[in-house]
Amino acid sequence: MSRVLLTASSVLALAFLCLPALIVIPMSFSSASSLEFPPPGFSLRWYESLLGDPRWLLALQNSVIVALLSSIIALMAGSLAAYGLVRGTFRGRVLIEGVFIAPLVVPSVIIAVALYIFFAQIGLLGTMTGLVIGHTVLGVPYVILVMSVAIRSFDHRIEQVALSLGAPTSTMFRRVLLPNLLPSVFAAWIFALIASFDEVIITHFIAGRYDTVPKRMFNELVLQVNPTITAIATLLIVLSVIAVGIIVLLLRRGGVRMRSLT
Amino acid sequence: MASTRRFPVELGYVLPLLLLMLAMFILPIVLMLARSVTQPEWTIEHYRSLIETSVYLRVLGRTLRIAVITTIACAVLGYPLAYWIRGLSPQRQVLATALVVLPFWISILVRSYAWIVVLGNAGVVNRILLDLGLVGAPVAFLYNELGVIIGTTNVLLPFLVLPLFAAMVRIDDRLLHAAESLGASRGTVFRRVFFPLSLPALAAGSILVFILTFGFFITPAILGGGRVPMVANALDLLINQFARWEAAAALSTVLLVVTLTCFAISRWVGARNATS
Repeated sequence: MSRVLLTASSVLALAFLCLPALIVIPMSFSSASSLEFPPPGFSLRWYESLLGDPRWLLALQNSVIVALLSSIIALMAGSLAAYGLVRGTFRGRVLIEGVFIAPLVVPSVIIAVALYIFFAQIGLLGTMTGLVIGHTVLGVPYVILVMSVAIRSFDHRIEQVALSLGAPTSTMFRRVLLPNLLPSVFAAWIFALIASFDEVIITHFIAGRYDTVPKRMFNELVLQVNPTITAIATLLIVLSVIAVGIIVLLLRRGGVRMRSLT
Repeated sequence: MASTRRFPVELGYVLPLLLLMLAMFILPIVLMLARSVTQPEWTIEHYRSLIETSVYLRVLGRTLRIAVITTIACAVLGYPLAYWIRGLSPQRQVLATALVVLPFWISILVRSYAWIVVLGNAGVVNRILLDLGLVGAPVAFLYNELGVIIGTTNVLLPFLVLPLFAAMVRIDDRLLHAAESLGASRGTVFRRVFFPLSLPALAAGSILVFILTFGFFITPAILGGGRVPMVANALDLLINQFARWEAAAALSTVLLVVTLTCFAISRWVGARNATS
């Protein structure tokens, strides 16, 4: 009896978790302009209105630019720093790592307020540069977490062999470390890319006139309910699922278990 | 000969990112904290006005209330779910955890939007309730605290379930068998052995949910319809509408202190869990 109750409550909880995704995807193919569920008929009108709207396309373009730039900066600086943290023996490593992970712990809205006031004073408020910097800060923790695990699991002696055979450090990085860690590097990059592409709060505060896809979605949702959102939402879900699939594949190939990340 | 001591090469690798984070993350936060007590001169005025203005107290009180209720809701829904997943076969465990993780990867915006479709006045739930004759008029799920709590619980449930499940898997079955072989009933084994062993993970997960709720911005904005502002929404108004930076800095500091204190507590609970 209690077993049945447990199963029932668990299945309900799982349904509660997955309901939003199950609702949004069919809604995006609805022919009705109201929020009717289940949809009365099939149509692609919301995808047409999405792709036919220059404001959405501009937002998409901004999102892609910001996500690419910030994730690449976070990836390069973050991977190098992760290497230094894992292989180094200098003091203060725990504190430094804490600084790198902190954006994951500190509520985004606090970072947003702090960056708003700071950027307003140094003239970066409402600029692309400021936006990229803000998103880079957010992507750093993911790169540090993924790359630290990957570097720690790579045998230090292989690096030493390369160096002792006369390879300069840069060659060792490029020819030994990077090829071996490539799957994790890609996974870290995708984490940072998604973190930026999904970001709403910091963008809402500091982006000024720049629209990104999530910022535009947020503004539309606060003002009114427009089914075009379901089309972009479905595209984002598809994108997330593809990205997660790639990450899981890459991390598995890289010999890193997802569990060691959490 | 301390002056000739070699500068560690590895520190050089860390330096670019460290400088970036110090300049663009730590410095802005420190300046914001400083602003809350130094504008126009050394003062605690901004904090006093936080306490003396009923609006801020109401927002803080509401945020606290929503965070507590969300935490309880997540624990009540999440504990049985994690326990149930632990009892599944390995393949089904993978499937169930995948379902728990899936919403993690869907934008909070999308998930909040879906609740409008589900819970709105003409939404699925209300139509079913009306058709069944259970209610005479649509139930107002949205644009009030209930709607916000449904949204926050939905977003945060995985944060409780995943670590809790991971901790439950580590509980040795032989302990439970030993208790049973000593004559304890299944209920007693759960109450006296299993539950106490899973309690630290439940506590750590609950604190995590509490912290995360405290900083929520998107869900209250969308599902609260502007009528249920939480701390983060108040910060949005202070910065983007009223340009009251000092008040925003003071309120942010309060939020930061609450968050970091809870985080320290959860680390402490987690560390005790790991050593016991």
